[in-house]
Amino acid sequence: MNDVFQLSVVAGILTSAIRLATPYLYAAIGEAFSQRSGVVNLGVDGIMLISAYASFYIVLNTGSIWLGLLAAIVVGLLMGLLMAFISVTLKAEQGISGIGLYMFGLGLSSLLFKTTIGTVKTVTGFQPVKIPLLGDIPVVGEIFFQHSLLVYGAFLLVPLAWFVLEKTTWGLKNKSVGQNPAAADSLGVNVDRVRYVSVCIGAILAGIAGASLSISLLNLFQDNLTAGQGFIAVALVYFGGWKPVGILWGALLFSTVNAFQLWMQVLGVKIPSDVAIMLPYLLTIAALAITINRVRQPAALNKPFERGES
Amino acid sequence: MAHGVPTNEKQQIQRVEMCNITKCFPGVLANDRVCFDVNQGEVHALLGENGAGKSTLMRQLYGLYRPDEGEILINGRPYTFNSPADAIEVGIGMIHQHFMLVPTMTVAENVALGLKSSREPMLDLDKVSARIRELSQLYGSIIDPSAYVWQLSVGEQQRVEIIKALYRGASLIILDEPTAVLTPQEVNDLFVTLKRMVKDGHTLIFISHKLHEVMAISNRVTVLRDGCLIGTRLTSEVTRNELVKMMVGRDVRQLNPQPLKSGPVRLEIQGLQAMGDRGTEALRGINLQIHGGEIVGLAGVSGNGQRELAECLAGVRKTNHGTILMDSVDISFMPLKQRIDSGLAYIPEERMRDGAVREFSVQENVFLHDHASPKYTHGIFLDFARMRVFASELVKNFNVKTPGLDTPIKNLSGGNIQKLIMARELSRQPKVLIAAQPTRGVDIGATEYIHQRLLQQREEGIAIFLISEDLDEICVLSDRIAVLYEGRIMGIVERNEATVEQIGLMMAGISMTEAMQR
Amino acid sequence: MFKRLIVVLVLLGVLVSACATPPTAVPATEAAPTEAPATEAPTVEPVEPFRIAVIMPSAITDMAFSQSMYSALIAVQTEMGGESALEIKYSEGMFKVPDAAAAIRDYASQGFNVVIAHGSQYGASVQEIAVDFPNVTFAWGTDVNTFGMPNVFAYTAAAEQGGYINGVLAAMLTKTKTIGVTGPVEVGDAKTYVDGFVQGVASVDPAIKVSKTWTGSFSDVALMTEAAKTHIAAGADILTGSSQSVVGSIGAAKDNGSVLWFGTQQNQSSLAPTLVVASQVYDWSGMIKEIIANNKAGTLGGQAYVLQLKNDGLKIVFNPDYALSAEIKAAGEKAIADIIAGTITVNP
Repeated sequence: MNDVFQLSVVAGILTSAIRLATPYLYAAIGEAFSQRSGVVNLGVDGIMLISAYASFYIVLNTGSIWLGLLAAIVVGLLMGLLMAFISVTLKAEQGISGIGLYMFGLGLSSLLFKTTIGTVKTVTGFQPVKIPLLGDIPVVGEIFFQHSLLVYGAFLLVPLAWFVLEKTTWGLKNKSVGQNPAAADSLGVNVDRVRYVSVCIGAILAGIAGASLSISLLNLFQDNLTAGQGFIAVALVYFGGWKPVGILWGALLFSTVNAFQLWMQVLGVKIPSDVAIMLPYLLTIAALAITINRVRQPAALNKPFERGES
Repeated sequence: MAHGVPTNEKQQIQRVEMCNITKCFPGVLANDRVCFDVNQGEVHALLGENGAGKSTLMRQLYGLYRPDEGEILINGRPYTFNSPADAIEVGIGMIHQHFMLVPTMTVAENVALGLKSSREPMLDLDKVSARIRELSQLYGSIIDPSAYVWQLSVGEQQRVEIIKALYRGASLIILDEPTAVLTPQEVNDLFVTLKRMVKDGHTLIFISHKLHEVMAISNRVTVLRDGCLIGTRLTSEVTRNELVKMMVGRDVRQLNPQPLKSGPVRLEIQGLQAMGDRGTEALRGINLQIHGGEIVGLAGVSGNGQRELAECLAGVRKTNHGTILMDSVDISFMPLKQRIDSGLAYIPEERMRDGAVREFSVQENVFLHDHASPKYTHGIFLDFARMRVFASELVKNFNVKTPGLDTPIKNLSGGNIQKLIMARELSRQPKVLIAAQPTRGVDIGATEYIHQRLLQQREEGIAIFLISEDLDEICVLSDRIAVLYEGRIMGIVERNEATVEQIGLMMAGISMTEAMQR
Repeated sequence: MFKRLIVVLVLLGVLVSACATPPTAVPATEAAPTEAPATEAPTVEPVEPFRIAVIMPSAITDMAFSQSMYSALIAVQTEMGGESALEIKYSEGMFKVPDAAAAIRDYASQGFNVVIAHGSQYGASVQEIAVDFPNVTFAWGTDVNTFGMPNVFAYTAAAEQGGYINGVLAAMLTKTKTIGVTGPVEVGDAKTYVDGFVQGVASVDPAIKVSKTWTGSFSDVALMTEAAKTHIAAGADILTGSSQSVVGSIGAAKDNGSVLWFGTQQNQSSLAPTLVVASQVYDWSGMIKEIIANNKAGTLGGQAYVLQLKNDGLKIVFNPDYALSAEIKAAGEKAIADIIAGTITVNP
C-alpha cells in the first residue's frame, strides 16, 4: 500500500493521466465551442472515429504524420459542416441529429477499415518529444515535458480556447448566440454563421481528438476505437461549466483517477478489479453532483433560432 | 460590413419615409399599404391596439423583416435593409419591448456585441466602458459597465438598451412599448431622458397603446388599426377621445361604477407565505380581506409575487404558512376542485397555458371542469346535446366571436379567448373571483366588455380580487387598492385616496406613510 | 421535411453500420432450397454443400476470439474442397444478444446444417431456439453445457493450458522478475488463461511478480494501452493478456521496443514481429470437422468439446522471427508434453 505514495508511482500516475486526458481535452473543448453557441453535438464520438480512421489510413499509406493530422482536420470539418447544416440551417432536433452523426461515423469508419485496411496494423505516429532543458528536470521533466506534440497541443489549447472565448469579439458573439440569439441578431450578428463556425471548430477539434488516439497515443486503428470517449467528453463540458479551465480540471480528475486505479491494480492493492474500474466514473459523477451549475448553461442550448419568434 | 467604430459623425437622418408598406404573414395581413414618415427632432407616436401592426411596421424599418411591397426612403434615398446590421449602419436603433440583452453578460459586453473593436480581434472593453459611463451620465445617472445585466433593475436594463443604440451612433431610435414594464416613476425618468435626446437632435418613434403617454411625449401621432393606416395627426390638435375612436373604430363608453355596497367579508388571507419557482421566498406574509360587492385591486411591478399569490388562492401552488378563508371556511388545504365547487372562480394570468387547452374546441374548453357534473351526463356518458345548448348560450351572452363551437380555441383572438374563460368561470355563479391580468394583450373593445362584466359581478355581490400590472385599470375599477412589493403588501388605500404617483412610490418599495406624505 | 431528413440520416447511419458487418462472407451461390432436411444429407449424393452459419460477438479481423473461429472455418472449407463442399455464412459484431438470437433463428430456419453461436452470452438463446429446430445442429461456446439436448454441442478451450506454457517461457525470459497481465474482464477464458499463466510462472520461480490489471471492457483500446504502459513503468519487461483490445497492449510494448509479448487466442506475431515470443492459438478446425462428421452420421448434438493441447485444439505457435534460445524452447516443449501426458495438471 505504501508503494502508492512513492515518488516514482506518483510520477507514473501523473504521466499516465496527462496522456489519458489528451483526447478528452480536444473533444470536450471543441464541444464547448459548439455548445456555447447553442448547439449540442452528440456526434463527437462518431467524428472522432472517422477522423481517427482517416488519419491512420493516411499515415499508414504515406508515412506522413502531418498529412495524417491534416486528414483528421479536413474530415472533422466536413462532419462539422454536416452537423451544422442539419441543426442550424434545417433547424432539426439536435439530440437526434447528433446520434445520427455518431452512428454514421461509427458505421462508416468500420466499413472503410474493413474494406481498405482489413486487419489491425500499427504505424509510427507522433513520437514523444523531450522539451530542451525543461525535459531534463528530474521527475517534473518526465511527467510534463516528454510527451508527443499532440499531447502538448491539447494542454496549450486550454489557454488558447479561454482567450478566444473570453477575450475576443468573436468569443462574445459565440456566447451571445448561445444565450440570447434574438439579442445578437438585433445587433446585426449573423447567428447562423457564428453557429456554423462554432460547430465546425468543435468538429475539427473532435477530429484531432480522434487523431490523437490513432496516430499518437495508440498508433493503431480498430473497430470502435474510441469506445465511447466522445460521450464522456460531452459530459465533461457540463462538468466544466462550459469553460476551458473547468473542462481541464474535469478531464484531469477523470484521467488521474483512472491512472490511479490502474496503478493500484499493478501494485496489487487488494481491492476487487470491478470496484477499481468504477472508481473514475463514481468520482466524476460525485464531483458533477456537487459542482454542477446550471446557471452557466447557455440559455439557448438545443434551440434553433428563427427571427421574430419572440 | 455594416458596423463602424462608434461615432456621432454618421450622416444625420433628416427624414424617413415608409411608403405603401405591405407585409403578409401566413394567414395575416400585418401591414396593408401603410405610409409613415418622421422628421428629424420630432417624437412620432405610433398608436394602436395589440395586433394592429405597429411592431411589424417598425421591424421592417429596423431590417428584421423585409416588406413584401413598398419603399423605405431615408433622406429621400431608397434603402433596402437585409438585416439589423444594415439599419444600424444608417443610424437607426430599436429598443424592443422584450429587451434584447444577454443577462449573463456584462453591460459593456452587451454594448460591444457585434461591433468591431479598436483592437480586433481582441475586445477593448475598457474603451467601451468609458464611453458607456459618458453616455449614461449624459442621459441620466451612471450605469456600471462591469455589472451583469441580470443584476440590473428593469429600468436600468432599458437604459442599457438606449445606450446600446446611442453607442452605435443611432440618430433615429424606435421605442417599442417602452413603458409597459416600468413603474410610474421610471416612466417619468424615461420621459426626461427621451426629451433630452430630442433636444440633442435625435429623432424618436414611440410605439404605444397608452393614450396619456402618447399625449404627453409626442409631436405627431399615427394610428394603425388591423394593419391599416387610420390617420396621422398633430398631437396638439387631437383629443384623447378622437384617438380612441381612431384606434377602436367607434366610441368607447366611459365606465361608471356604482357606489360601493359592501357586504360581508368573503375572502380573507392571513399571514400567507409561499415559495417562488426558484425556491426563493415569493410571499412573505400577506394579509388581506375582500368583501362581497367589492373590487380590490392588487398593484405592483411584475415579479413581486402577484402570480404566486393568485396561484396560492386558486390552489395550484403550495403555501408554506398562513390561512385562506372563504366565507369563514378554511380552504388553505382544499384541493383545486373542491375550491371551485365551493365557489371560487379563477381567471389565470397565462390564459393559454393555465386557462384553456389550445387544441380543444370552444365547447370542450367550456366544459373543462364541469364535464362530470350530473347536469351534463347520463351515467358515464356525456349529454352532448345539453352541453351544446349551454355552450352556445355562453358564447352568445358574453359576445364571444367564434366561427363555431367546434373551432379550436387557438384560432380565436386573445380577447375572445378571455371572454370565453370569463364566461365559463362566471357561469358557475361564484362567490369569489380572482382575475389575474384579465385584459393583458386584449383589444380595447374586449377590455371594455370585460371591465363592464367585472363591475356587473360586483353589483351582484361577488368579491373580486383584481390582479393587474396596468395601473390605469386598477385605478378605474378598484374600490380599494393594495400595493404588492417583494412579497409584502406595502399598504391598502381607498380609491381616490391616493394619487397614481403615490401608488407608484409604494410599487417601488417606499412605505405607505412615507409615500402618502409626498 | 426536416424531420424526414433526420430520419433519412439516422437510417443512413444504421445502413452504413449494417454494411460494415456484412452478413455473408461468401456470396450466396444459389438460392438454397428451403426444405433441405439435414438427415437426408448423408444418403443423397453430395451435390448440395454442407452449410454452416456462425454468429460472432466481434469482428472476424479482431486478431482474437472471433477471428480464431473464422480462420478455422475457412481452413476446414479449403480442406473439404471449397465452397461447393462447405458453405459458410457469418454474422459478426453481434454484441447485442437479442440481435444475435434473431440471427440464430434466421439461420436455423434457412436450413443450415449447423449453426454456431460463438459466445458464452448466447447460451440462453441457443437453449430456447434449439427446441424449435430438432433437425439442426447447434454449437455454442465457450461452455460445456449442452442443456441435455440431442441437437446441441457445447465447446470451450482449456485456455489455462496454453497460459501455463506461456507462463513457463515468460518466467525464464524475464530479467526484471516482473510480468504484467492486461486483462479485459475477469470472466471466461480471459480469466482461465491468466490463472494458467500465473501457475506456469510460479512453477519456474515463485519469486517472480505477476501484476494483473482489468480494464472492465473488451473493447477499450485506449485504457488497455495505458494499463500496459503502467505495467512497463512499474518495471515489467514481459506482457500478456487477452481480448480484442490487447492490440493496444502490443502497441505499448512496441513503442517501448524491448518489452516482450505472449499472445493468446490467435497468432499475434504479425503485430510486433520482433517482440512476440509465442502465442497460444485456438484451433477450432478439429472440432468443426468432428461436428460435421457427427452431423452426417446422424448425431446432431449432446457432446461437449474442450480444446486442449492433447487434442490439437490448442497449439503453441512460436514466432519464427523471435530468436528463442533452444534451452528455453525445450523447457516449453517439455511442459507441453507433460500436460498432454497428464503429469502436470493446470487448474482453471
